[in-house]
Amino acid sequence: MSSKPEGLESSNISCNDAPAMSSETVQRPPPPEKPAAILTRTKVIAAFWAVIIFLGFPIWWQTTSIHRARLPIQEMVNWASGKTCRPVFPLEIQFATPSLPVSDAQHLLRTTQHTLDDLNEFSAHHLRLKLLESSNIESNSPDGLRSITEDNADTVLSVRLIAQEDLTAPRSVLHSETTQLDVFYPPSQVPVPSSSNSPLSAFIAEELQRLFGEEKATIAHVLSNNNGADHQPAAVLNSLPPQIAETINKRERRSMKYAETYHLAFSLFTPGSAPSSWDIEAAIQEYLTPLLQAFSPISNFTVDTQVQLYAMFSPMTPQPEYDESQAAWTLKKEDLSAFINAAEWPLSPSIGSGPTINFILYVPAPSQSPMVVKENHATSWIIPQWGGVFLLNAPLSTSQPSNPSHLSKESLQSAFLTFSHQLLTLMGTPATPTSLPLRLQTLIRIRAASLLLSASSTMGSLARLTKSLPSIPIPASVATSVSTTLSHLSSACDQLREGRFAAALASARVAETEAERSFFEKSMVGQVYFPDEHKVAVYLPLLGPIGVPLAVGLLKELKRIIAGWKSRRSSP
Amino acid sequence: MSLLPNLFRFISFLLLLLYAFPVSAEHTSNWAVLVSTSRFWFNYRHLANVLSLYRTVKRLGIPDSQIILMLPDDMACNPRNAFPGTVYSNADRAVDLYGDNIEVDYRGYEVTVENFIRLLTDRLDEDVPRSKRLGSDSGSNVLVYMTGHGGDQFLKFQDSEEIGAWDLADAFGQMWEKKRYHELLFMIDTCQANTMYTHFYSPNIVATGSSALDQSSYSHHADTDVGVAVIDRWTYYVLEFLETQVTSANSKLTLGDLFNSYDESKIHSQPGVRWDLFPGGEEEGRLRTVVDFFGNVQNVEIENANATEPGSLKEDLAELAQLVEKWRKQEGYHAIRNDIPVRNESDVSSYPDTEVDPRYYSRKRSKGPTKMTDESSWQKRFVGVSVVAACAAVWLTGSILAGS
Repeated sequence: MSSKPEGLESSNISCNDAPAMSSETVQRPPPPEKPAAILTRTKVIAAFWAVIIFLGFPIWWQTTSIHRARLPIQEMVNWASGKTCRPVFPLEIQFATPSLPVSDAQHLLRTTQHTLDDLNEFSAHHLRLKLLESSNIESNSPDGLRSITEDNADTVLSVRLIAQEDLTAPRSVLHSETTQLDVFYPPSQVPVPSSSNSPLSAFIAEELQRLFGEEKATIAHVLSNNNGADHQPAAVLNSLPPQIAETINKRERRSMKYAETYHLAFSLFTPGSAPSSWDIEAAIQEYLTPLLQAFSPISNFTVDTQVQLYAMFSPMTPQPEYDESQAAWTLKKEDLSAFINAAEWPLSPSIGSGPTINFILYVPAPSQSPMVVKENHATSWIIPQWGGVFLLNAPLSTSQPSNPSHLSKESLQSAFLTFSHQLLTLMGTPATPTSLPLRLQTLIRIRAASLLLSASSTMGSLARLTKSLPSIPIPASVATSVSTTLSHLSSACDQLREGRFAAALASARVAETEAERSFFEKSMVGQVYFPDEHKVAVYLPLLGPIGVPLAVGLLKELKRIIAGWKSRRSSP
Repeated sequence: MSLLPNLFRFISFLLLLLYAFPVSAEHTSNWAVLVSTSRFWFNYRHLANVLSLYRTVKRLGIPDSQIILMLPDDMACNPRNAFPGTVYSNADRAVDLYGDNIEVDYRGYEVTVENFIRLLTDRLDEDVPRSKRLGSDSGSNVLVYMTGHGGDQFLKFQDSEEIGAWDLADAFGQMWEKKRYHELLFMIDTCQANTMYTHFYSPNIVATGSSALDQSSYSHHADTDVGVAVIDRWTYYVLEFLETQVTSANSKLTLGDLFNSYDESKIHSQPGVRWDLFPGGEEEGRLRTVVDFFGNVQNVEIENANATEPGSLKEDLAELAQLVEKWRKQEGYHAIRNDIPVRNESDVSSYPDTEVDPRYYSRKRSKGPTKMTDESSWQKRFVGVSVVAACAAVWLTGSILAGS
């Protein structure tokens, strides 16, 4: 280091002396630097640059680079565009024909299947008829509750053919508590082996088509929303009568967004001091648990309850009016949306993660009882995507009008069955066919389809996001979630193809949860976008004063080395 | 043979086409994100701006659970406030905006750029309550209103950081990717406000701002008793339109009417509107009603007790009753699984002893705090004890060896 000031000094002298010398026009070169000094200077410059290149640069790179895990982008995009999986819904229908010989039954099934295939224009959703061996008939008790929770619930519907002598035309009865359809037919209508169709098979095909009509329309609606590659669902949808399309749209508007867990909050509100207790636990066990059990393949539920006394309407709400003709206090339909006093009634929407579905049991004050809706005397209504309300007009004691202080389980029955109905509606359960187990199974298929598509489209969104925002970090956990999602998506797709819908829904649920988790990963916030001028503004004051001497020093050194090298080449 | 069904199908297709447009244009819920970004007493007007708009959207029917309100300061409780506990946006002090009915979701130092972007993109911790989340989906119309101090392509948050027009555009881009809005109305009242929406790129957004590049946004008037300006000009005239013209949630006034009501001579700056991201552009966008964004769409559905079509109350009740009946008959009735937790808060019911199934009591008693993990604590204790013992043994041998 000692040589450097020396060098500087010498140059100073030369500068100061220069004007004086110029008059004599004699130029005296500075004294030559000592080789040791030159070497030291080279070493110093090299040391600085070594620190910059081997320490500074890697540290800068390390601290400013964004960790981006590798994602299978192409695969994700393929899922989103529907190229990887085309969901199909083969529904298996078992036929029990105790009174027919096997050959006749097989023929009947063949012709019915043929008629069905002709009627069906939506190939993704089709019915497969299967003959049940007569030995199994007795042991196979179709049980709605159990069959949908079972893992390999292949059979969607069992049809029993029963001959009845005194009939002129076949008729069918759908058991509303099981997944069984009884078809009664006159024995004369069994197709003879030679004929290719018969009134009986046409009848059965039409019945089945009717039973699954709404499901087919809904699935076509779900598929047409997301799938760009396939035009068939949209075509099917277009061929539907507008009422059905409107029904589906309406259901979509009011049903809750899918969630892994829903919180059910049951609240008893009353403007006075009574009733102050209710048999809520028993009522829930008795009236609601069966439905929640039936829903268990679709979502999880938690239940909360509360009793709120002295719950007043908000001052802005129009008060109920007494209607002489109905002998009741009436609420106008257009005022119902203001019925809930959101400001004062503690209906907190923030219980854990997942949406809350509110059910409100309102017991009107004795002075305003009974209370009904003016237009149609109804005592309950649904608030779309939020919950339901039930007005419980408790029986008043005659001597002195007051509400009972305790609501028994029996008095809660109508309210809780209505809440169950509202829950069915809010979960988006289709209205037909008129058998609850069948409707829940249909819901399983619809949910499986919509979750499959929504998880796929989330994958596509994540892939596009990764490409379009290079500044956001992608942690390794996202890559793990993505691979879990993709594997569950493909297993869900396979299970759908095999007709194992409950298993497919389970896989689709995992896929949806993981897909959401990967998209909403907390650390993936490209929080600050710096335009280039900002970067220059930050780096220049820091790097300018350091960089200029370093760069100039390096340049000078290089120049010297090149000059020395040239002179050495020319001198010999 | 197949002519008739085909004809029918054709007619129904035509009907569907007639239907199709209004159906596809519908939204299923409304959300509002109202943000003020400045602290300190002299920025009273920014809080008043936001609170006035909060009052308006609530009046038009958006429930508190679907309004995200961000207030970085608490003017009502500021010691300089001559009217403690109140905020007014007009010198006549007719309406107390703070009132007794207000739900602030993000307050004070929670109002940051990061939290705002996390709110929009929903990249929040799992334990963040629902009230602090924007739960919108592909059917939601979202209103985003921001006010504060800003400049060319940035808006200051709390005098300490700023959000750039790019960040905002990316946040909206991510919302669109994840289908978190159906249509979005972006409103901003700040200096050079129109520069904030220049970088937006996602579709279905209508954006409007109070002032063009290099223009200031001015306050409307000051209240001499409060001592500061109480509202900004642009917001004042937007609110004047909303309060005097849009009187009910059924109002048919359109966004076109709202934007036509801008009067540059009153606002003292050039408000801007951006239509090009909206499908159909300006003509289509102008037809959207104001309550599409400021009101709530959800209509209650009364259940007719006499209707008998499938899926109606009556039909469902019959089916549910059967389900309950079957459940009761099943052997599983008495061995009800315990996987549906019932939390009972203010329920004071007591069971008469004679009628109660003993199982209720046993189940009730077993309800204690649940364990968070499945690991057995004994195993852990054993490991801990053996580690401590090993350390002691090492120390002991060491000291013995050293002593010898």
